[in-house]
Amino acid sequence: MKKTVLIERKTPVVGIPRALLYYRYAALWETYFRELGIKTVLSPPTSRQILEDGAAMAVDETCLSVKIFYGHVKALIGKCDFIFVPRIATFGLRREMCIRFSALYDQTRNVFRETHQRFLSYNLDANENIDQEKAFLNMGETLALGYSPAELKKAYAAAEKADQRAWREKLRAQEQILKSKGLKILLVGHPYILDDPYLGRPITDFLRSMDVLPLRADIVNRDTAIKRSLDVSPSCKWEVNRELLGGVEMLKKEVDGVILVSAFPCGPDAMTNDLVTRKVKDVPLLNLVMDTQTGSAGTETRLESFVDIIRLKKGVL
Amino acid sequence: MAKQLQKEIRMKQISFPRYAEYNCCIKYGLEHAFHNVRYIMPPPLTRQTEELGERNSPDYVCTPFKTLLGSEIEALEAGADTVIMTHGACRLGYYGELQEQILHDLGYQCELINLSSYATGKRRDWLRLLKHVDPKLNLPKFIQVARDTLKMVEYVDDVTAEYYKNVGFDATDGEYRKAYRKFLASLNIADSRADIEADYRTVKREFQEIPLDKPDRPLRVGILGELYTVMDAYSNRNLEQKLADMGVEVHRWMTITNQVVHYSNVKNLEPKIKDLCTYSMGPTSTANIWFAKTCAEHHFDGLIHVKSANCTPEIDIMPVLQNISSTYKIPTLYLTYDTQTSDVGLLTRLEAFYDMIATRKKALS
Repeated sequence: MKKTVLIERKTPVVGIPRALLYYRYAALWETYFRELGIKTVLSPPTSRQILEDGAAMAVDETCLSVKIFYGHVKALIGKCDFIFVPRIATFGLRREMCIRFSALYDQTRNVFRETHQRFLSYNLDANENIDQEKAFLNMGETLALGYSPAELKKAYAAAEKADQRAWREKLRAQEQILKSKGLKILLVGHPYILDDPYLGRPITDFLRSMDVLPLRADIVNRDTAIKRSLDVSPSCKWEVNRELLGGVEMLKKEVDGVILVSAFPCGPDAMTNDLVTRKVKDVPLLNLVMDTQTGSAGTETRLESFVDIIRLKKGVL
Repeated sequence: MAKQLQKEIRMKQISFPRYAEYNCCIKYGLEHAFHNVRYIMPPPLTRQTEELGERNSPDYVCTPFKTLLGSEIEALEAGADTVIMTHGACRLGYYGELQEQILHDLGYQCELINLSSYATGKRRDWLRLLKHVDPKLNLPKFIQVARDTLKMVEYVDDVTAEYYKNVGFDATDGEYRKAYRKFLASLNIADSRADIEADYRTVKREFQEIPLDKPDRPLRVGILGELYTVMDAYSNRNLEQKLADMGVEVHRWMTITNQVVHYSNVKNLEPKIKDLCTYSMGPTSTANIWFAKTCAEHHFDGLIHVKSANCTPEIDIMPVLQNISSTYKIPTLYLTYDTQTSDVGLLTRLEAFYDMIATRKKALS
């Protein structure tokens, strides 16, 4: 007779900062931990307080998105055993993340050294032949809770499935907007800026309140976008920026205007947005840069006048 | 005579923007490796170069982008028809493409050889580049010249390191500085490996012969930071010379020899800083963190971290450097350079830093 042994695991609580790549990988991360029976807590949505807390921790010159990220990390301290900060470096040749994501884990650890908080990470680096699946398996092992490789693989497969389902959902929503009639404006920016309730959401909401249909350059078929980005910029190497450049190429014929939204001072955006303003000439373009001082009134005035100009051009105002 | 002139006209007029003291090596390499290339030396960097670059660059790109763009424009004005831009692991890898677009938008009919588009990790692509520059390429000769050029770079770095360690203690009336300047000038006209070796031997001997007035335990400061600004004397407003003139032994690890030519060695530094960071944080981060830690362990009197405004990898390692500074109790000065940085402002900060570390040394010993 087979002996069954009941293994009791004392699973930790993992805190996930609601910032940066959370907006890209939310389903993947949450499903993976759930499948392994690990509880997760999420930091509260970005607020003025979180931004200020983060800015106080960070080096002055770092970008707004990372300052917000630190605010989220700080909000999680004391509420979980581990804070989850993955290191995502490269996916392949000319498919890299901004160099800041390679440093993020060690940077966060050093910034919060005094708190003795423990951090959890996975390392995704094509230069070291670690793809996403392997990275997740490695992370499962570092947890040292006795998960078998099969268990980890199963959890990852489920997570990936959930990720794709969530992605298809987003694509479908975008398709719906594309089909409907009205003034369409393409928002170009990292998901962690456009989806952030403090930075990007007010822009989307304000545009909707003016009866404008906001589209997103990052929500397009990623493989096609990566290929199309070569038409605009053959040597661009940042994964997300290539998706955005490709998204602009794919959608610029369908929209009435393009708004580039970036956070000050985003490294890749500083360069690719300049390239877009130099190369994409056939559609009205607005360049919005968000920083710690951004008040909503200034942004709203700029958005209003941009929409007015487009309507004037179309003769509907 | 006419034939000679025709040959001259058919030559490619290639330039590479100003970069520390390495332009003489680039000149030597390009002119000797390819039979159809003439190197156009860009004028030395000035305030005007920076303004030229700044005016035509995106707002918050890192400062070397602006300086290099300005230098490229000056080289084109000086007669170059081709500009080379290097590749790199940070934003440097995207400089070429954007600069090409900017130069073309400005109306320059130039070619920009962007090494990023050839850096695929395959040797075949580099060969394609060489054949593109010189269809009649003599590969064995190219390899020989490349070796000589790397040797030249090593000599420049070796002599520069020795110079900044000792020039502050020169007992004569500026002989040390004169010898160094003469060495760099003579490299500009070096025509063979023998010339390079002779120049190197001469300067080494002269350095030996010049009497120094150096205390047993002088003030030692380690300089680290971003690849371009930390090496380029104009961009860092002569930081090392200023420090040396105050009577400081200046140490800098970050050179082309150490960081680029022997890049594979950088991987070996990772285990030595495992207590501070788990992964590689960026192209120059490992070396800089290791150097800061080593200086601290060897009881240096201070560290100076040099970076250009908006340099992503260097901003990222600042929390680590702050921790090194507080663990080992080593004073650290963080300098951010942009096109507006003034000479006098820097001098004031350096003097204050010098006074602090000098007083501290006296109090501790």
